[in-house]
Amino acid sequence: MNGSNIDTKQLIACQQCDALYDKPELKQGQSVKCTRCGSTMAERKVDSIERSYHWSMAGIFLLVPAILLPIMGVTLAGQYHHASLLDCIIVLIERGYLMIAVLVFLFAIAVPVVRLLGSFYITYCFKFSKLKPSLLHFFRAFHYLDNWAMLNVFMLGIVVSMYKLIDDTELSVNMGLLAFILWLISSTMASVALDPDYIWQKLEDEFVD
Amino acid sequence: MSINTAKNSNLALCPKCHKLNTLRSYADKRGKIKCVRCYGMFYQRKPHSLQYTLAWNMAALIAFIPANLYPIMIIYSLGIGDPSTILSGIGQFVDQGLYPIAAIIFTASIIVPLLKIIGLFVLVYRAYTGIRLRPDKHSKFYHVLEFLGPWSMLDVFVVALLVAVVELGFVTSVAAGPAINYFTLTVIFTMIAANSFDPRLLWDKKNE
Repeated sequence: MNGSNIDTKQLIACQQCDALYDKPELKQGQSVKCTRCGSTMAERKVDSIERSYHWSMAGIFLLVPAILLPIMGVTLAGQYHHASLLDCIIVLIERGYLMIAVLVFLFAIAVPVVRLLGSFYITYCFKFSKLKPSLLHFFRAFHYLDNWAMLNVFMLGIVVSMYKLIDDTELSVNMGLLAFILWLISSTMASVALDPDYIWQKLEDEFVD
Repeated sequence: MSINTAKNSNLALCPKCHKLNTLRSYADKRGKIKCVRCYGMFYQRKPHSLQYTLAWNMAALIAFIPANLYPIMIIYSLGIGDPSTILSGIGQFVDQGLYPIAAIIFTASIIVPLLKIIGLFVLVYRAYTGIRLRPDKHSKFYHVLEFLGPWSMLDVFVVALLVAVVELGFVTSVAAGPAINYFTLTVIFTMIAANSFDPRLLWDKKNE
């Protein structure tokens, strides 16, 4: 077959197995699955811009308390000490565990924060029709962070360390934990609601050719 | 049943924005393509995908050995240090009868990294030789491996939290052991290894 006469807008390929199909018209809430490997090729999410915009706005409000408020504290022999997410990083740096400090900072603070701000910015531009060509680059860069946000793993880490502490010490839970859980929920919902296919399609119609 | 693929039709899918690009004759010699939609550079298939996966995987396996031998955490109480490795930490939970927590940590820090390393070796071998290759089964297996990857960071986060929270001077404090660095490296290396693997190679091999 000769590649040059194919209209690529009428075709869709599976990201996982490269199978090629004619592109179906999707209504909101519909998705197409590859018949060969079964993975979802494209999905049109319901009200994606609206939902993602509001979830990421909620996430941005929760971000500061989740990072700065103490998550939990311990009391032992009359002494009390507590730590927030940021304290974790500072203590790790003070004790000289630089690599761990950098990675915990990246996976549990920097990447989730940048992803949240990114999805807020992109949905804000879509909601108020302020599309600009730079969004093409912006949204591509956004995709590089897809695999590296680990808030959910950190949450499980909090639960496990509570079990480690509960036997020998008096454990107290602080407001930071609530803020962190809500932050986790809203940033997860913001990225679940985001519909990259729709955003790319719209940006292409606007700025390419 | 034969399904047409993008590669057979001289098309290439952008991994970031999922736009189909036509392969033009002026794409550079190493096959680098610039996406017409997002302007990102990519290849039709990740070049040397199997070699990269193998190399990162070996590195992960090597880092996994000291990660289990050295202590991951040292608990000081009244000035006396009590080091524990990943396995002895799990043992403590079993002794206390907290089986669910022991199972979660055992899965996240031992089973998942090992399963990822062995699984990727098997996938690379199958994709390279094509022996008993079942692309549908194997690509599903690959996605499970890819999904499980980040959960191995669990132990690192637990140690980071404990070091920060339990800081009561002479009475009790927690220090991280050298294993934490090796263990983190294992997790990062397996994640990069899984990212370097191109599941489309499994299907390509079957169709040859």
